[in-house]
Amino acid sequence: MRRLKKYQSGEAAQYITRRAALRKLQLSLNDFRRLCIIKGVYPREPKHRRRAQKGSSEIKILYHAKDIRFLLHEPIVWTLRDYKIFAKKTGKDRAVKDFRNLKRRLALFPELRIDHIVKERYPTFVDAIKDLDDCLTLLFLFSTFPSLRLIPREQSFLCRRLTIEFLHYIISSKSIRNVFISIKGFYFQADIKGQKVTWIMPHHYPFKPHSKAEVDFKVMSIFVEFYTIMLGFVNYRLYHSAGYTYPPKFRSEIHNDSQDNYKDELSYVSDRIATLNSDLICTENELEDEIENIDLDLLEQGQSSNRIMKLKKEAKELTNLRSLFKGLKFYVNREVPREPIVILIRSFGGKVSWDCTAFVGATYNESDETITHQIVDRPILSKKYISRDYIQPQWVFDCVNKRTLLPTNSYFLGVLLPPHLSPFVDSNRDSYIPPEENESQNESDCNQKKYVEGNTGFSASAKEIIDSHAMDDDQLQKAYIEERADFEEYDRIENEEEQNDDNIPEEQKEKLRHEETLSMSVQAGKVHKENKKIRRKNEIDEHRLQARMVKSRHRTLFRKLVREKQVKEKEKWLLKKKRRNIEAQKMSN
Amino acid sequence: MSAIKKKRISKKTKSAWRKTDIKDVEEFLEDQRQEERVGSFAEKKDDELFMVDATPLKHKPAILTEKQKRKLNAKKPLRSLEALNNTSKVQDPIVKRNRVRQKKSGRIIEEEVRNPTKPRHFQANKDRERYYETLEKKLKKEDQLTKTAKDVWAEEDFRDKIPGLKDEKGWISKELALHVTKNVGKPVIKVHDSIRHRTTKAKKFAAPPPGLSYNPSLDDHQALLKEVVEREEKIIKEENHLKRVTTQMFSKVTPEERDTRRLQEMRSGLDDESEGEANDATEDGEYRTINPPVENKKKSKQSRRKELQQKELQKKQAEKKALKKQIADLNRIKSIKTEVIAEEEALKILKKHRKKVELKKKFETKRLGRLKYVDPDIDVNMPEDIAGNLRNVKPESSLLVDRFKNFQKRNILPVSVATGKQKSKKVKRFPRSTHKDPGVSFQMLREQRKVGQTY
Repeated sequence: MRRLKKYQSGEAAQYITRRAALRKLQLSLNDFRRLCIIKGVYPREPKHRRRAQKGSSEIKILYHAKDIRFLLHEPIVWTLRDYKIFAKKTGKDRAVKDFRNLKRRLALFPELRIDHIVKERYPTFVDAIKDLDDCLTLLFLFSTFPSLRLIPREQSFLCRRLTIEFLHYIISSKSIRNVFISIKGFYFQADIKGQKVTWIMPHHYPFKPHSKAEVDFKVMSIFVEFYTIMLGFVNYRLYHSAGYTYPPKFRSEIHNDSQDNYKDELSYVSDRIATLNSDLICTENELEDEIENIDLDLLEQGQSSNRIMKLKKEAKELTNLRSLFKGLKFYVNREVPREPIVILIRSFGGKVSWDCTAFVGATYNESDETITHQIVDRPILSKKYISRDYIQPQWVFDCVNKRTLLPTNSYFLGVLLPPHLSPFVDSNRDSYIPPEENESQNESDCNQKKYVEGNTGFSASAKEIIDSHAMDDDQLQKAYIEERADFEEYDRIENEEEQNDDNIPEEQKEKLRHEETLSMSVQAGKVHKENKKIRRKNEIDEHRLQARMVKSRHRTLFRKLVREKQVKEKEKWLLKKKRRNIEAQKMSN
Repeated sequence: MSAIKKKRISKKTKSAWRKTDIKDVEEFLEDQRQEERVGSFAEKKDDELFMVDATPLKHKPAILTEKQKRKLNAKKPLRSLEALNNTSKVQDPIVKRNRVRQKKSGRIIEEEVRNPTKPRHFQANKDRERYYETLEKKLKKEDQLTKTAKDVWAEEDFRDKIPGLKDEKGWISKELALHVTKNVGKPVIKVHDSIRHRTTKAKKFAAPPPGLSYNPSLDDHQALLKEVVEREEKIIKEENHLKRVTTQMFSKVTPEERDTRRLQEMRSGLDDESEGEANDATEDGEYRTINPPVENKKKSKQSRRKELQQKELQKKQAEKKALKKQIADLNRIKSIKTEVIAEEEALKILKKHRKKVELKKKFETKRLGRLKYVDPDIDVNMPEDIAGNLRNVKPESSLLVDRFKNFQKRNILPVSVATGKQKSKKVKRFPRSTHKDPGVSFQMLREQRKVGQTY
């Protein structure tokens, strides 16, 4: 065997510099960059740089040698090389002015096929959804771009189409969970197949010219090139799993991608929003709602431990959210950014319209008396209707985040708005929650109760759900459930009795009733007292059981979790104590 | 000049007279006779002599455009090759000269297609057919809508694609199938796991701070502002430190003093040289060094012995000392114990710290290129910019830059200064000849000379 020399094994053999990679792949730097971005191969940092760079200590861009070897097998490398040949040939034709040949060559432009790479990078559909954040943010951004030197016009058209398709799916599947208006743009968080997908929709007119030193447009364009293909496949799969036809049929104007439609930016935007106001064509009947109900029932059967309680609460919140704006009719004034509002209202079952003279796609007029809410973003309005609430746009966003219809009085026309809080801060976190925050939550609960009572249109079931919200204490919840079960049983028995009653003549009935009244008695109620010791003992036993059930390879993780919990509890206790002390001091003063 | 002069011939003899040309006289006479027979022009009427020509006999030559002229010219042989044309009237003396016959330009493809004779014609025909098929397919332009309208995540077996590999009876093992695919030219390439290895543990989506809201609560906004201020202060501190360590270390000098110093420095050797020369002149050209010459001093036997004795004595004393210390240590075991424990504790703390640093490093951005990643500034609306309604939102930060930085943060792109810097082409610029100043040419000089000669 040949004797290995220095730097022929170990870390030096594991890494390869970019220059060496270029030589090995026989590609230009631009082509290599494109290949790497499309294939998802990124530079690495070695553990020991001098060793990896064969003795040189300047910082070079390094890749895993294995990655580069993997790239060597890629069929699109050949296409990238073909581009070079293509450029040479067409260049010659152009110089000689052989336009006939040039036309033929241009028709035969070697196309970069990256379908198989999507599958390779995301082996399962869920993987693709997990990585959708960047994709969506970039595509939403690019869909608003004018045609630029380094960004082909078709690319931004494609982005527009794909994002509209995606939004349609989001609307019809009612999967939006959180929204946040930031100074960067509108944050949306949706729940797709159990994965949380977050993207940022820019405020209107997001395009600003950038200096070349800030952003490399070419690189971003390559990312978008890959993401368009990926989102195309994701859309197809989403549409098919939900039973919609793909590609979706919209208004005729937007669907054909003719260039004339995009001449005017303003008309394009209004067209885009108009399409959002139309329903998708369904191929199958929806079954989703039923499935969710079954799930809930299953949960109810199981014992009501803490976690299941939490899950149940979440599920109830969700069902509430899905029909949040059902039966409400909105009218959006001209000055309000319509796109995010239309998405939200439509995805939670509301109806929406706008000024029919200014924008296309309006479904009803401002003078419609059945409109329940009008969204206004100006200090005063000359003509008002009594039958509707005039609210500011933040109401819609806050309602979605709180999962209930908030009272409109603090969002009225010209009123100073309450702060728009971020939904990404977990309010149910285990750590210490200051009493102020707790109060605001309770307050909102109370308010919504009042609101519901005032609004007679609500069904009793909704009331129940909301009532259940107020009960944070699981003890209370337990008691409530028991009570309800009793009540149902009682109901059933009574029904049966009633059925029996029908057969018995009325005289006997009266007799029975008389007997019942005689035997009726009231017993003194007992306060349910719990033995704290027993409870604590039970808890410890349960914990021990859990610890025993944990597999040996997960033991460290389990210990870590337990320790974390302990630390958190201790922190909470400390802060509480601190607060108590401070308040005591205040009182004494 | 142009008319040919008639040759004068002497008319001395009769025969010379016979040679004279009387053609013109005879022609004239003939004309006269003809006129007598037919009649003169003057007598005839206009109608008999002329007729009105309604239709032009010949088409007027069309006025050619520049492009057409160029095309016509292109068909003509090149002017530069005109000299090669044989214009001689003399016939070639060698009748059967071996001439190089020009080949016909290209093959006659129509003929090959119509009746192929050679095997390569058949092959070419087949290839051509295939080419036109693909061309037609490509010219149809696949719509983007249909391009992605398929389920890539559908379960599929690589054995389905190659006929013969799919067998229900299970005779062909997977290894064999893999081998076949490799040799058929459609290898199944396994993706190695390390390609998807996450190089940073930082979250993909960082939740925006609540102070970023368009209408934030006071606490959230203040918290964000505090963070911004802290970061800014850190930067300022760093800058001040660098300033103190570098620029402020040097003493400052007025420009005049600097100039005088420079002058002095530059002419430092000039004055001394003359003196040195003078010194040299006084002494002889003998070589001398500054240090005195080294002498090799020998140690005496006695001194060597004494040195050895001293060394041994020292060694013995050290041993004695060590022994004494050991005995003393027996008495202070307790304090040693505490020392050891303290040392261990310090080591433990160090270990913990190292572990912490290592963990922190896992979340940090790696150094991929020459430059280090620096977090971009936090976007924040100043209190006076917060309008409190959606209409007057002041959008801060660019989403594109934000994404780009995010890619850099997640080790996807290396950081570089010249992001997207375009190489400008090197163009040699010079004024057009029409814009040049009239220079002096050789012709002009010659003309001037000529003019000078005439006067």
